[in-house]
Amino acid sequence: MNRMIKLTLVALTAAMILGGGSSQAQELYLNGFVEGLWSGGLDDRNPTDRDYPAAETRLQLRAESYGDNAEVFAKVDFIQDGFDSTSYDWELREAYLKFRLPIDIDFKIGRQILTWGTGDLLFINDVFAKDYQSFFIGRQDEYLKAPQTAMRAEWFTKAGTFSLIAIPDFEPNILPTGDRLSFYNPMNVDIVGSSGYMAPVEPDNSFDNAEIAFRYSRSVKGFNVAGYAYRGFYKEPRAVRMIDSTTSELYFPRLNVYGASLRGQVAGGILWLEGGYYDSRKDQYGDEYSIENSSTKAFIGFERQVASDFTGNIQFQAEMMSSYDNYEKSYDGYVAMMNMMQPGAPVTPKTDETRTLITSRWTKQLASQTVTLSLFGFYSPSDEDAYIRFSTAYKYTDELSLMVGGNIFEGKNPQTMFGQFDHNDNLYVKVNYGF
Amino acid sequence: MKKIIITLAIFILASVAGYSVINAQTDAAEIMQKSHMAYFYAADDGVADVTMKIINKKGKERIREFTMLRIDLVEGGEQKYYTYFKKPSDVSRLTFMVWKNPNASDNRWIYVPAVDLVKQISADDKNSSFVGSDFTYEDVSGRHWSEDSHRLISESETLDGKETYLVSSTPVEKYKGFAEKKTWIDKTSFLPLKEEYYNDKGKLVRVFTSDKIETIDGIETVTQRTMENVKKKQHTTIYFNEISYNTGLTDDIFTERYLKTPPRKYIK
Repeated sequence: MNRMIKLTLVALTAAMILGGGSSQAQELYLNGFVEGLWSGGLDDRNPTDRDYPAAETRLQLRAESYGDNAEVFAKVDFIQDGFDSTSYDWELREAYLKFRLPIDIDFKIGRQILTWGTGDLLFINDVFAKDYQSFFIGRQDEYLKAPQTAMRAEWFTKAGTFSLIAIPDFEPNILPTGDRLSFYNPMNVDIVGSSGYMAPVEPDNSFDNAEIAFRYSRSVKGFNVAGYAYRGFYKEPRAVRMIDSTTSELYFPRLNVYGASLRGQVAGGILWLEGGYYDSRKDQYGDEYSIENSSTKAFIGFERQVASDFTGNIQFQAEMMSSYDNYEKSYDGYVAMMNMMQPGAPVTPKTDETRTLITSRWTKQLASQTVTLSLFGFYSPSDEDAYIRFSTAYKYTDELSLMVGGNIFEGKNPQTMFGQFDHNDNLYVKVNYGF
Repeated sequence: MKKIIITLAIFILASVAGYSVINAQTDAAEIMQKSHMAYFYAADDGVADVTMKIINKKGKERIREFTMLRIDLVEGGEQKYYTYFKKPSDVSRLTFMVWKNPNASDNRWIYVPAVDLVKQISADDKNSSFVGSDFTYEDVSGRHWSEDSHRLISESETLDGKETYLVSSTPVEKYKGFAEKKTWIDKTSFLPLKEEYYNDKGKLVRVFTSDKIETIDGIETVTQRTMENVKKKQHTTIYFNEISYNTGLTDDIFTERYLKTPPRKYIK
């Protein structure tokens, strides 16, 4: 946190210097919201610490100041967590300096939300940190994107836009830890609460461990076409290693991603297509059971308005593991080893070579767009699991809004993406006052 | 002989009548074209600070504040619009861009700052409400005059002391926005003073009025306009607080770069 504060101060100072030459008086714009969120679990069998995944009050403050060629922006959340004994926390979600060089390069430096790619809640080339815990318990959709401290440079040319992002400190995805949400632990071969949670070990902060992401994008015949490259780490602990003969630790293995996307107008709607190759650098042959194999992923989506204020979309995603033969062999080796250590004990099932996923979103607005009904469904035919998000939001005034919604998980098996969250079904109520 | 004379007389009368119908149609189309140009294509570009008030039947008021930039690439044709939202708080800093193609579907992009996401969005339905108001996207950026056939109903109506042309327009292709539109057009400025929208049952559904006209940089401009939804008993008034024309806006401002970082020279 200390580091972030320093960064903010540097950004603010730089902005004042940069903005100093501007003819306008520097004004500070302030706004934000207060929000109460109560989320209740629907399943008594859930092995979590909390019966209700969220009971919190949040104050968000946003401050902005700008000159002709530079701007500073900060967004801070103060959270009062009402679970058990009341506790307080804060999070610096954004604190950046944006400035422009005369050679058509825009810089954005500091704490920021990073996004690219074409999917609707599906990500291939967007390798930036996500907060799935927030996403699953009813917080606003924007909380799915976790902030990162980064430097972004974008160079705008006639031949296209070149974007380069450097992230010095690795930040992982925020996943269920058993406290608010239960999850599947392959060691336990079961869905676990916080007792089954093992904190993964993050890569050291070193120059070589900095994440680098690159994108080139341009418009071709009305379509936005982009190519991507990334060098960094899996954002989820997809590997395990032994530290001594009895203890092991989870870690984030090396990952490179290469991909491309396309998005544009087709048949009165929007069509998008994205693909990428996940190159697991430390398991090139896929024969290392303890490290995730490389894989190829692609999705296609289409969205259109079906009536006034009524929009629907559908996406189809497929994901294929590389070197599946080697994975099977290494899996068999793992099973043999486990049988030797604990004869007869259950072993986590083998992963399929191909995973398929269908998603669909439907949004209907009513009463002059003051009421929004939203439904988003994920269904995987290969994993036989599903996840449904639904909500109804009502804007009572421009400032005051009320939302009720829910997250429902279903799965035939506990080891699948959504199946592991089967006990986490929840309903929530949210009241928001913006100012 | 008598028969011939009668036939001839009928023929002449019919031709005259037919000619005047055609003439009235071309006149009406020309008036609508001039009106469209005066209202949607004033100068080569424009910057406006806008306040929008949506007032429902209970008198409850919702307010949107935004800055709108416009550039005309082809007079009467291609245009680009850029909107930067200031209020309400939940949409502040959000930007929105439209590339208007009168002969094809528009392109629309939205930038959501909270997730740093630029997204091209579906623009098929030009008849949907603009930010929850009684104005549609089409009311904001204009429906091309060639999409309707026009008929001059009267040249002698006055509205608020102004002489007007009264034109009736019907969509060439079936359109859910309206079945008939009546427009009162000021004879000197060619600005629309009033519009009435009727549905396919001939029922009045929406009424547009130009509430205030001011001369800005030598151009007559509607600076306050209202759209009333008759059925919902709700109306929306748009106030143009500050307008400037021919500001020197360039085409490159209407791109992803400026969607992400607003051009502060124009947007305060």
